[in-house]
Amino acid sequence: MRKGIAALSLLGLGLAQEAHRVAITHPGGSYNQEVAFLWPWVYFFSVVIFAVVAGALAYVTWKFRARPGDEGEPPQIHGNDRLEVVWTLIPLAIVFVLFGLTAKALIQVNRPIPGALKVEVTGYQFWWDFHYPSLGLRNSNELILPAGVPVELEITSKDVIHSFWVPGLAGKRDAIPGQTTRLSFEPKEPGLYYGFCAELCGASHARMLFRVVVLPKEEFDRFVEQAKAAPPVADERGQQVFQQNCAACHGVARSMPPAVIGPDLGLMGNRTSLAAGIVENTPENLKAWIKDPLAMKPGSKMPGFPQLSEEDLEALVRYLEGLKVEGFDFKALPKF
Amino acid sequence: MAITAKPKAGVWAVLWDLLTTVDHKKIGLMYTATAFFAFALAGVFSLLIRAQLAVPNNTFLTGEQYNQILTLHGATMLFFFIIQAGLTGFGNFVVPLMLGARDVALPRINAFSYWAFLGAIILALMSYFFPGGAPSVGWTFYYPFSAQSGSGVDFYLAAILLLGFSSLLGNANFVATIYNLRAQGMSLWKMPMYVWSVFAASVLNLFSLAGLTAATLLVLLDRKIGLTWFNPAIGGDPVLFQQFFWFYSHPTVYVMLLPYLGILAEVASTFARKPLFGYKQMVWAQMGIVVLGTMVWAHHMFTVGESTLFQIAFAFFTALIAVPTGVKLFNLIGTLWGGKLQMKTPLYWVLGFIFNFLLGGITGVMLSMTPLDYQFHDSYFVVAHFHNVLMAGSAFGAFAGLYYWWPKMTGRMYDERLGKLHFWLFLVGYLVTFLPQYALGYLGMPRRYYTYNADIAGWPELNFISTVGAFILGLGGLVWVYNMLKSLRSGPKAPENPWGGYTLEWLTASPPKAHNFDVKLPTEFPSERPLYDWAKKGVKLEPEDPSHIHLPNSSFWPFYSAATLFAFFVAVAALPVPNVWMWVFLALFAYGLVRWALEDEYSHPVEHHTLSGKSNAWMGMAWFIVSEVGLFAILIAGYLYLRLSGAAVPPEERPALWLALLNTFFLVSSSFTVHFAHHDLRRGRFNPFRFGLLITIILGVLFFLVQSWEFYQFHSHSSWQENLWTAAFFTIVGLHGLHVVIGGFGLVLAYLQALRGKITLHHHGTLEAASMYWHLVDAVWLVIVTIFYIW
Repeated sequence: MRKGIAALSLLGLGLAQEAHRVAITHPGGSYNQEVAFLWPWVYFFSVVIFAVVAGALAYVTWKFRARPGDEGEPPQIHGNDRLEVVWTLIPLAIVFVLFGLTAKALIQVNRPIPGALKVEVTGYQFWWDFHYPSLGLRNSNELILPAGVPVELEITSKDVIHSFWVPGLAGKRDAIPGQTTRLSFEPKEPGLYYGFCAELCGASHARMLFRVVVLPKEEFDRFVEQAKAAPPVADERGQQVFQQNCAACHGVARSMPPAVIGPDLGLMGNRTSLAAGIVENTPENLKAWIKDPLAMKPGSKMPGFPQLSEEDLEALVRYLEGLKVEGFDFKALPKF
Repeated sequence: MAITAKPKAGVWAVLWDLLTTVDHKKIGLMYTATAFFAFALAGVFSLLIRAQLAVPNNTFLTGEQYNQILTLHGATMLFFFIIQAGLTGFGNFVVPLMLGARDVALPRINAFSYWAFLGAIILALMSYFFPGGAPSVGWTFYYPFSAQSGSGVDFYLAAILLLGFSSLLGNANFVATIYNLRAQGMSLWKMPMYVWSVFAASVLNLFSLAGLTAATLLVLLDRKIGLTWFNPAIGGDPVLFQQFFWFYSHPTVYVMLLPYLGILAEVASTFARKPLFGYKQMVWAQMGIVVLGTMVWAHHMFTVGESTLFQIAFAFFTALIAVPTGVKLFNLIGTLWGGKLQMKTPLYWVLGFIFNFLLGGITGVMLSMTPLDYQFHDSYFVVAHFHNVLMAGSAFGAFAGLYYWWPKMTGRMYDERLGKLHFWLFLVGYLVTFLPQYALGYLGMPRRYYTYNADIAGWPELNFISTVGAFILGLGGLVWVYNMLKSLRSGPKAPENPWGGYTLEWLTASPPKAHNFDVKLPTEFPSERPLYDWAKKGVKLEPEDPSHIHLPNSSFWPFYSAATLFAFFVAVAALPVPNVWMWVFLALFAYGLVRWALEDEYSHPVEHHTLSGKSNAWMGMAWFIVSEVGLFAILIAGYLYLRLSGAAVPPEERPALWLALLNTFFLVSSSFTVHFAHHDLRRGRFNPFRFGLLITIILGVLFFLVQSWEFYQFHSHSSWQENLWTAAFFTIVGLHGLHVVIGGFGLVLAYLQALRGKITLHHHGTLEAASMYWHLVDAVWLVIVTIFYIW
């Protein structure tokens, strides 16, 4: 619905300059609702235990300090069996309560949700590939999801171990070469969510970010429908430059299997960020990236293209930024 | 060695003395100094880390440089400081004193352990000067990242293996010392709490180190010769690496904690002027930690996608371990309660520890709640948590110990005001550094990020505050170093017992004389506080007759052996394997062991009275064997997993069963021959003894020749780079072959001793140890025949 996006855009305008408000208890989806349920329990017990023990410590330190001139030995007490049993049993009881809650929540969050939308998530040094087999859609570094629809991510890696983490939506799950791990949850609140690689994977581990775009269901459906059309060509010369320089590694088909070497750029114009979520998607940043990617991301497999003429570069950037589905501005979504 | 007053010695003489010493106090001092040096160095690394993270998108360090510093910070702090200071540092110095002993059970092994430990530090750090740079894979070196990274990883892995030798020997030595060398009358339940904690930590390390050795060895083999268990391209499992790694690396956090809990107990009791509150419960809680500590490792791997049931089990034990840990804290407070607290520097660290460890314990329980852990895992929340328990926990314990025993170790007092200033700077610096990091974890900041974007609310501010805190810690570090130097230069002379301590180390001079005790120790130990009890009873201490005091001789060969072993590992790390240098250094190492074996430990033949009735060599080897069994058990468990899950399939042509059965015959009969040889020795029949030993060695050589031929044949049929079963076969059977060589060499040493007439009825430790080892080799072989040749 256009109105929905418009309303979100209006809301977003106010927030446009604002930072992402990332928090692990943000109830952006079904997973984090479990976290938000557990959190107050453990918080309560933590505060109580801390208050009691730290209080006792403070009391002891104050009350039993040796005062000047206070000679002689204090009572030589070797223990108190009853007290010791009590202070073993109380923590034991607390541990059992917390463990019961943990087990229940754990079974809940690890249970596969029937009828979930499947997305294949693949980690590479240092970017992410997202493929929707049932929709014939592919994107890199920005995972677009519908609100209110359960999703099941099938996560793997093509090189070293990575870990997929969107704090505002769900806990992390490792991307392990040769294996597939699963993460199911239902995103609920539309927004632009920060995502991170959470397993040390190389020199640019900290530059392997991504975003999750949660759209209202209707917006998502419309986006998917429109994305099925071939990407428009915004600049003929740019397309030529792309074919000559970039196509060996990058695809723009939005649905083909990945060219393995580099991210699919078919939805480049819709992305909010560049180079796996590290800078804002602007023509200037894109130019800088193409000229010298290693300056932004050490260890990246992409070579620089300083030899491109300024005109070629401009044309290429126009072509790339034109690869998009019109009518969507993800930057305007609330940021989490 | 006779007891004489030493003249003032020159620098070279002092150096030579340190190189050749077997005195537990000097070794303990060297361990302590090295460990605290490692702390200072790793502390400087942490300042570089925090400087880089002070502001968003900082370019002070590149990602690669940051990862190198991060790895060295973690590895140095964990392996070279926190595991060492409380266990091998203070442990070596204090435990024999607390037991009323003159040295550890195996003094030369002890010297070797120290030099190997020093070699391991040098190995890990020297990588920086090689083209591949320092390791940059994190101290956890996860596969396959570690298999693809630069040559720094080779040095790091070699360092871990060398350190492994050092720690296992050190741990076995501690356990043997505690079993065998307690003063007459000191039963286990009368030992000081610190001795209990060293015992517990040593046993735990002996049991679990195998996991790290297995993980390290397999990654090194993968990097050097392509032998792989983990490579998914041939069906290997990268998660298996993590199982091996954490099987050790979780229990080891208790190795990093238990000795400090022991120190804190001693300090709390001394400065509260009271006995420990619930001594027995504290010992049981500690044993509970040891047992539970081996059952929680997979909580480091909740996010790898294991089954929910598996995770629930590990979540349960993880939460449960909070109970005995909590009990230890409560008993510490109970010990202080009702006392007359002497507010001196060591006690400050105890109070700080209790406060900080409480925070760390509570956040640890949060982390045991798996759905929360999925969020917190590998985030700054975890970083804050483990610094809470290790830095503000164990390291505070280390400083409690350092300030407590400093007068005893150096003979000098220090400036109390500076000690307290150091404490306050550390406490405030710690809180300012790490409380923001809890918040950063809550706000989703992953750990091991060399930089971050400015557009996430709270990150820039919290990171900046954290960096300020780190520099407060750095300032505290300067105060500490200044205080120590000032004390050494101009501190007042320390009396024997400056704090009124209750345990036997306070009965010695400060610093203690070479033979530790001038007096005969009474044989009555009413409680774990002998000095208190004896003073109450008015027991009068009689001087010991100097002619009854015998100390072990100094020896150059432990240092020489450790140095050549170090050189061997450098050759393995720096050059392609195999290479000629590693064989050269191995030969030099073997030469050192021969010289060592042929040298007399004591100048006078000494009858060792041990409390257990077993010799020190027997006791040390028995506990060392625990670790060997662990190593084979964990590798075999990994093999069974790969085999049963269908990943490891034997190739068509396998090594022949009949050859293995022939070898079984050789090895089983050799176990009998060595047994009868030992029997003959005990009966005093020296010629049959030597003959039996020779036959055993020949049978071992036959086994080795047959197996070498079999390996040569099988290697040309099936490659360990392509087949998991073949890789497992060469790893486990090859490792057993290595044990045959080591055990055989031990027998050769005993044989050489016999030829030189150095083996007597009462003095045959090498033979005892070698023959026990040989039986182990035999038993493992029977398992191997079953699972590799018959199955």
